[in-house]
Amino acid sequence: MIRYWPALLSLLLCVGAIGGYVALLKFPTVRNHPEAYLGAFALAALIAAIATWRAARWPNVAALALSAMLLVLGGYFNFVLARIPNTSATVRVGEPAPDFTLPDATGAPVSLASFRDQTPVVLVFYRGYW
Amino acid sequence: MLTELGDSGVQILVISPDPNERSQELASRLKARYHFLTDRDLAVTRRYGIVHASGGHKGQDVPRPTTVVLDRSGTVRWLSLADSIQVRPDPDAVVRAVRTLGS
Repeated sequence: MIRYWPALLSLLLCVGAIGGYVALLKFPTVRNHPEAYLGAFALAALIAAIATWRAARWPNVAALALSAMLLVLGGYFNFVLARIPNTSATVRVGEPAPDFTLPDATGAPVSLASFRDQTPVVLVFYRGYW
Repeated sequence: MLTELGDSGVQILVISPDPNERSQELASRLKARYHFLTDRDLAVTRRYGIVHASGGHKGQDVPRPTTVVLDRSGTVRWLSLADSIQVRPDPDAVVRAVRTLGS
């Protein structure tokens, strides 16, 4: 078993990267650096590749297959699926924000203009849960 | 989150296409004094030019995650547009942006 420590290390890196990302998602530094888990997958794949090159036994090959698959899937999600096209936003720094009136959680209308000359306002647009 | 700002009297308007009931549930869970506003047909999101076309899990249009800081006159002073659905602005950066407006 001891000679398979690189395969085991590769596996732990993969599991640790996924578990760590999910568990620490509420911390902005973790959330905003998804490339960290890709780096862990890449390192895991490298370790497994070296181990496989030195001894093509099944634990090494399995670790290589798993880490390489995670690297490809993670990269595809990160660089393709999760990308938002950079369409030109109408809202711009230095310009007035377009006014609007929308219903709040109780159904009462809230208008942006009603806060003018009162307080600063933070607008947060989010995707929702559908 | 931005609770600290809410307590300082800054108005926080949180906008999504979620129906009101859903937002109300979230509002009570977060115990936050945000205004949860429903932009059901994305009319306002579209006017701001921040629609992520076909970005939803069913291929529907969804808002591009965006945070805007307005001063008292309603002028945009700070803006964060996400270029990945995984990324959100650091709340500390938003707090700093509001603080620079003075109160």
